[in-house]
Amino acid sequence: MTIHTALTGPFPRSEPLVAATRDLDRARASADAVEARFVEAEREVVELEQRLGLDAVTGGYLRWADLFRPFAEGWRGFTVGPVTRWFETNTFYRQPILHAPPERVGSVVRAALPPSSVVEPSRAKVVLPGPFTFAGLLDNRSGETREALTHRFGRLLAEEVRDLHAAGYATFQFQEPLLVVAPPKGPLAEAAVAAYKSIGSAADGARTMVWTYFGDATAVEPLLHRLNVGGIGVDLAETEVDRVRAPPDHRALGLGCLDPRTTLPEDPAEVARVVRAIVQRVHPREVWLGPGGPLDLLPAEPAARKLHVLPAAKQLLDGPGAAG
Amino acid sequence: MSGPLFPAQEIGSLAKPRWQLLGQRGEVLDGQAVEEFRLWNERLGFADAASPEVRALLEGRSRELGAGAVRDLGALFALRFFERAGLARVYDGEARRIEMYEYPIRQMRGFRFYGHVRSFDNKYYRKAACVDEVGLEHPYHTEEFDFVKAHAHGIPKLPITGPYTLADWSYNEHYLGRQAGWKGREVRRRAQREFVVEIARRAVRPTLQALIERGCRVIQVDEPAAGTHPDEADLVAEGFNAATEGLDATFSMHVCFSEYASLLPALLEAKRVDQWAWEFANRDSEERDGYEVLKLFREYGDTRQVGLGVVDVHRDEVESSKVVADRIRRAAKILGDPSRIWVNPDCGLRTRRLEVAWQKLGSVVEGARLARADFERAD
Repeated sequence: MTIHTALTGPFPRSEPLVAATRDLDRARASADAVEARFVEAEREVVELEQRLGLDAVTGGYLRWADLFRPFAEGWRGFTVGPVTRWFETNTFYRQPILHAPPERVGSVVRAALPPSSVVEPSRAKVVLPGPFTFAGLLDNRSGETREALTHRFGRLLAEEVRDLHAAGYATFQFQEPLLVVAPPKGPLAEAAVAAYKSIGSAADGARTMVWTYFGDATAVEPLLHRLNVGGIGVDLAETEVDRVRAPPDHRALGLGCLDPRTTLPEDPAEVARVVRAIVQRVHPREVWLGPGGPLDLLPAEPAARKLHVLPAAKQLLDGPGAAG
Repeated sequence: MSGPLFPAQEIGSLAKPRWQLLGQRGEVLDGQAVEEFRLWNERLGFADAASPEVRALLEGRSRELGAGAVRDLGALFALRFFERAGLARVYDGEARRIEMYEYPIRQMRGFRFYGHVRSFDNKYYRKAACVDEVGLEHPYHTEEFDFVKAHAHGIPKLPITGPYTLADWSYNEHYLGRQAGWKGREVRRRAQREFVVEIARRAVRPTLQALIERGCRVIQVDEPAAGTHPDEADLVAEGFNAATEGLDATFSMHVCFSEYASLLPALLEAKRVDQWAWEFANRDSEERDGYEVLKLFREYGDTRQVGLGVVDVHRDEVESSKVVADRIRRAAKILGDPSRIWVNPDCGLRTRRLEVAWQKLGSVVEGARLARADFERAD
């Protein structure tokens, strides 16, 4: 068994970047100055990821206003809607409004990723909205059913994976909190399966993973295990640790072991103990450790402190007495 | 409730006038700010135009006057704004406050601010971490209450952030860290319960006691976070009880923009709530369906007063007094007892320009008069 570590979503903006973006909004800073600050902050996150030995690099997705914004602003069919609560958190996203069946614009996601001079594509993890969560959280005025829309997002995101893979990107993660917060049944569940069939077909050797958070994954585990991706991630702050099972067919198991709801850093020994117990029970071939949910629910300093727990826990798991 | 039916009250904040914002920063008032001051002073008579303070403010010497004196004028302005609008329960429009979380937390011990959290886009807020046992440096809101008490003609109703919201908007390090084992859902919930109750007992309650000792008799506990985690509605109630049990005052709990049905019946366990002050107008339509949720009070046998939100604070469109009266009638019919109803805006009016706020309060008061006349005719 191999153990990997990586961020699983956005990292908080640094205090200097917070100040710069505030100044931009108040017309006290130029766009060029703020762009320079973004690049600098992305480099800092990449340096942190590399220093901690994480197995994929993200740059922190600092530019993304929310999970959907590049699509709502760049793909055809959308407008950007009202500020809407992001699950049971005190943070918000602007709800995309879909007026017509969505059409992908090829350059949009690539432009929203850190430049290749900052994050080398082959080492990058591309984090995208999952088709089920995307279709479920937007204001759908397109005339399409949610099932059809879920399936359509699967096809469009599959095209995205195909293009980015051709450009050298090799690791893709799909954010699917809604799958565990409001698990689908019947035709909607089948639409999710169909969406990931498209994505899986397009992956062509790329690593793909669905990451769930904000809810208990065990309740929807049979569905998660049917998704055609290389791994499934669960949020261990919400999922009963003794009920976690490995996905079938030797696919990877993602364990969200850092809780972004509290600044209290996890004890690496406790993380190692819990992960070891899961590994000894379910025997996954590959484990990815990361934050259970988006770390940008925290300020930058405690988020960085938490991230240090990953290599410390990995070291304990790789050391004497390692399971698997 | 004795007295006329449908008395009116405010629910918290009011937009700060331009002259106050400039003046408390020590800046020279521009023509617009001076004109605004004069216009509202003509309407409300909140300040003596010949006094040295007002002359200093209007003549460009606000730095000499000092921020405290400008805030005093701002508080007087808001107080008279509410009184002249015809409200029975009034406050200072939160003229001295800039937000409802950070200030109270900074009066407490055991908290640390690490930095900013993004709310959305380029908007951020500071969220403290509780890193030690909660304590209170000194009771807060006391000086502003003293000022209101000294100047109010109506009954002062003080708004204060509730213990659940203070806890929910903070990170819980200390009480979570004391829990052994993996920090799963049940462990986090236990730690959160302890955190809420400790804030209530150690910080909010002594502050309430200090306010009551100074003569504060009507207190609105704001719990805007109540709707964020519906499965924690029992903690909202428990925190409220820990803060208020045995205290001699009239308490209301303000909750807004929430799925109320998901909070009940757990929230109703807040024993010392005399009045539920909730937002309704925002969700209302011509069918008056925004008030249907009041049926839940009947369903659960809760007969306490209702602070009825009858104007929306998120739209400039001013509801007519007829619409307001219709909303009151609908609510009275559902509750089956008109004497349980107070009327107010949905939430604090600081989201609206002063002129719009003034007109909306006018509709609240006139709508209440129309509805009252109906009920008196029926009697």
